[in-house]
Amino acid sequence: MFDVETLMVLIPALPLVATLLTAALGKWLLKEQSHWPAVVAVGASCLLSFVLLFQVRAAVRQLDSSKSAAAASAAKPIGYEKIRTLWTWAVIHDVLPPDAGRPTDARSARDLDLGISLRTDPLTAMMLAVVTSISLLVVIYSIGYMHDDPGYWRFFTYVSLFVFSMTMLVSASNFALLYVFWEAVGLCSYLLIGFWLTRPPAAAAGMKAFLVNRIGDFGFALGLFLLWITYGTLNFHDTPAAAGILGQTLLSDPSRYVGGGVGVAIGLLLMLGACGKSAQFPLHVWLPDAMEGPTPVSALIHAATMVTAGVYMVTRCTPLFMAAPEAQQTVLTIGAITALLAGLIALTQTDLKRVLAYSTISQLGYMFIGLGVGTLPAIVAGMFHLFTHACFKALLFLGAGSVMHAMGGVVDMRRFGGLRHRLPVTHWTFLFGALALAAVAPFAGFWSKDAIVAALSARVSEAGPSSSAFYRIVFWSSLFTGGLTAYYTFRAFFLTFYGPEQIPDEAGHHAHESPRAMTRPLVILAIASLVVGWYFSRGDRFGKFLAHTPSLAYATVQATAQSAEHGGHGQVAFVSTLVALTGIGLAAYLYLGDSWEVVWLTRRLRWLYAISYGKFFLDGLYRVFLIWPLRAFAAGFYWVDRKLIDGLVDRVGRIPLAVGSTMRSLQNGLLPFYAMAMVFGLLVLLGILVR
Amino acid sequence: MTGVQGMFVTATLLGALGMWLMLPRRGFQKRRWGALLAVVSLGLFAAQVPPLGATLDRTVFDVLALVTLVSAVCTVTFRSPVYSAVWFGLTLLGTSGLFLFQGAQFLSMATITIYAGAILVTFLFVLMLSDPRGRAYYDRLSWEAMLSASAGAVMVGVLTMTLSKVFSPDAAGPPVPVKPGSAAAAASPGETPTAALPAPPSAQALEANVLSAQHVARLGGELFGRHLLAVEAAGALLFVALLGATAMMAQGKIERFQRSHHGDG
Amino acid sequence: MDELTLLYSYQVVGAMLLGIGIVGFLARRNMIVIFLSVEMMLQGVSVSLVSWGRFNNDWGGQVLTVFVITVAACEAAIALALVLGLFRRSGVLDVLYWQSLREANQEPYIEHELPEPPPEPLKSWPHLTPAGVEPRIEEDLHRSHV
Repeated sequence: MFDVETLMVLIPALPLVATLLTAALGKWLLKEQSHWPAVVAVGASCLLSFVLLFQVRAAVRQLDSSKSAAAASAAKPIGYEKIRTLWTWAVIHDVLPPDAGRPTDARSARDLDLGISLRTDPLTAMMLAVVTSISLLVVIYSIGYMHDDPGYWRFFTYVSLFVFSMTMLVSASNFALLYVFWEAVGLCSYLLIGFWLTRPPAAAAGMKAFLVNRIGDFGFALGLFLLWITYGTLNFHDTPAAAGILGQTLLSDPSRYVGGGVGVAIGLLLMLGACGKSAQFPLHVWLPDAMEGPTPVSALIHAATMVTAGVYMVTRCTPLFMAAPEAQQTVLTIGAITALLAGLIALTQTDLKRVLAYSTISQLGYMFIGLGVGTLPAIVAGMFHLFTHACFKALLFLGAGSVMHAMGGVVDMRRFGGLRHRLPVTHWTFLFGALALAAVAPFAGFWSKDAIVAALSARVSEAGPSSSAFYRIVFWSSLFTGGLTAYYTFRAFFLTFYGPEQIPDEAGHHAHESPRAMTRPLVILAIASLVVGWYFSRGDRFGKFLAHTPSLAYATVQATAQSAEHGGHGQVAFVSTLVALTGIGLAAYLYLGDSWEVVWLTRRLRWLYAISYGKFFLDGLYRVFLIWPLRAFAAGFYWVDRKLIDGLVDRVGRIPLAVGSTMRSLQNGLLPFYAMAMVFGLLVLLGILVR
Repeated sequence: MTGVQGMFVTATLLGALGMWLMLPRRGFQKRRWGALLAVVSLGLFAAQVPPLGATLDRTVFDVLALVTLVSAVCTVTFRSPVYSAVWFGLTLLGTSGLFLFQGAQFLSMATITIYAGAILVTFLFVLMLSDPRGRAYYDRLSWEAMLSASAGAVMVGVLTMTLSKVFSPDAAGPPVPVKPGSAAAAASPGETPTAALPAPPSAQALEANVLSAQHVARLGGELFGRHLLAVEAAGALLFVALLGATAMMAQGKIERFQRSHHGDG
Repeated sequence: MDELTLLYSYQVVGAMLLGIGIVGFLARRNMIVIFLSVEMMLQGVSVSLVSWGRFNNDWGGQVLTVFVITVAACEAAIALALVLGLFRRSGVLDVLYWQSLREANQEPYIEHELPEPPPEPLKSWPHLTPAGVEPRIEEDLHRSHV
């Protein structure tokens, strides 16, 4: 019953069933109890994903022991994976031109063969565990948060749909299926951001998220096309017809990966898709606006799971990026820029959720820095940061939701303060989350962010003289961003929970601690953000586990693993902790107690303040360079459609009228006129007959 | 052929111009000039027709034709409708003479009796009942004089041009169906219908048939023999016309009669 | 040859009568004169028919002409009844008076400048020698011409 093949299918299938049940029965039958299908399904999925994780870990251990036993055998599988194809979705024959030089040796006549193939490997198992557990906690939280909402059943339908899509996304074993569920999570994001669809800002935010995502998805689609043409197949795994892009055949001979211009193009296009989904510069503009949705949605989708889909995809495609170093460097650059940019913007935001949103963008930038460095420790560190970030960011968002719930929906930090007595549980759990985000030992964030920075410094020292300057810049910038992170996180913390107590009017009688359905997930996540960091980095057990993923287990990546053992690790840890504490101290100095220094600083640095508060005017730039030209373009076409095409049709329609009115003038009621017409007709007839 | 065609075109144009001048109009009415042009045009048309053989025949025919045509023009152009009616009577006389010249004696007498005697008199009665003086504005105006004159002139031109083509000695004009009993069939049996006009019948054949001494009897025999059904239908038509005219005239009168009598009791 | 020429001449005469009839029918506005022109066209046709009958040595031409006369009589009766009815309604014999069957967007045909009526001829009476009594003239009953 609990073998890997069955689990692979059950884990996504249960949320799908929950979606259908809630959609069908929610409105009329379940109503206030609409959460039950979702809770049961997601809970079961969570349990099953842990079972799967254990089974994969057992299989990996077995692989290790057998590997050491049969070291000389040639047919060693690279990493651990299990594939299961449910059915064939579509087969289109003879699509590609015959070309023998394709790296995947597409042997059987150039077909496009898409199947519903699911896979299990350490990366997938880890992602499934993270996704389902965070989803379960958010679902339980939502029972309390969305309690009085008229769209209760709709919320749980969408959330179940999202869980289904996300689990399928990480389990997909070909690019087409991945793309389908990539879009599906985008759809769920749109539906959930615009959940309160009668609010214009929410609807607009949902639209913005979807459209900006679309830009990324467009790049992703182009990347898929290029992949298809270059490799002749879209599968990750090997099939009898063709070797898979990330399958054993190609991984055992990495030189067959296409590099050069095509490889870089593929990498850049895939990165574009990841930018859209994971809110990297310049496609990050949708994430802050997405805070219009309910807070559980922000916690689940925009902190822990959907935005990590881009990181997952880039990790999965590591072989492709390793074959195109320029693309990897671009990933690094984008990650660094995004981290710094978001950090700078978050310094001055007054909306609590926006601060958290920008910090999410910034931390995602860190993950991409990790992926962009290109060594195995760095990549593993990126994924580890994804894992820990999911825990503490979800915690922070749920805590913010708790604060909002108590404050009657007010999110502006200037309007409330000093809440540590009224909301004690929220206060302490938020503190845990803030410490984790600021990367203070021994909280979770410290271990993962430190791993990234350490890998970065190792890369600095082993890079050549030309590129080491580049890596050095990124290193110092990421340290600086760490300081910024600590600063703005604790700025938000102090503004919310310290200072004179200040309750806005909308709070009314709500200004008390949240119900148990909401505080229990907070506590669980707080414990997690304390524990998971040091637990999983002991003996590098996370890294070793993840390194058995086929994409990370092949020779080229493994060769970079030596840089993990580096003496400078302790130095880097010391420096980053120092930076974090400096940030916290600065925030405490400015925001604990009276705030005249802040006012003075703001006035002195008002240009920088304006740039930061205005989000670097990126939204404005988008409006001017993209939206206005598009609107003008559309207006032009509207004019063409109305005036020219409609005008043409109208004119054509008026032709019978014109002809008719000309003909009408023949009917003037005068008898001699009619007689004249007859005579003329007779003359014409005579002329024809006679000539 | 272009020269002949040019003649026809000129004649048509002159005729149109002449008629236009002669039609009633608001301003000047150059009747004399119009008459001159019309005469010239008539002469041109007539010049295309070869003359008849014998001098007497030719003279008689010319006089009759001239009387007919001149009185026809006068019918159309005089302003007073009574004058027009009288000129029409003269036209009928001319036509009757033309019938007689062809040897259709019954028809010539019938024209006089029925046409001039009955129809024209009815016209005059109606004129008396309405407005006989010809002082109304609508008698002094014509509607689109130029177009009407041109229409008539073009009609004449087209017809006479066709006729000249058919009757010219060398050309093979439009096919004329050969009548089985005529001299033409006897003259050229078995010829294809696309031949030119058949030869005219001989004098003896004519004497025996159309120009026979018992003209009326033969005409009567033909009418009541071969065309009996048509004659009966024509009789019915006359009867219906009589009834119809009476009914139309009586319509208003019957209603008024009934109303006035009902008013009495 | 004579017969042919005869035929040709008669055809021309018939065509001319037809043409003149057409001119009168189109140009004149008095309904009576229009009908006279119609009769004239019928005469033209009769002339043509009779000559064809003689040329082909066939009674058909004359027979058809008899029918033409018959139909002309019927037509005259009905037409004159109609004209009288129209005259009773409107008081004019003008065919352009009756325009109401025109299309809605057409302008009516209106004479803007009526011709001035011809001057009444001077009432001149025969000069009698003064030895008689002047006849008594009643203006409303006297008609200067018919």
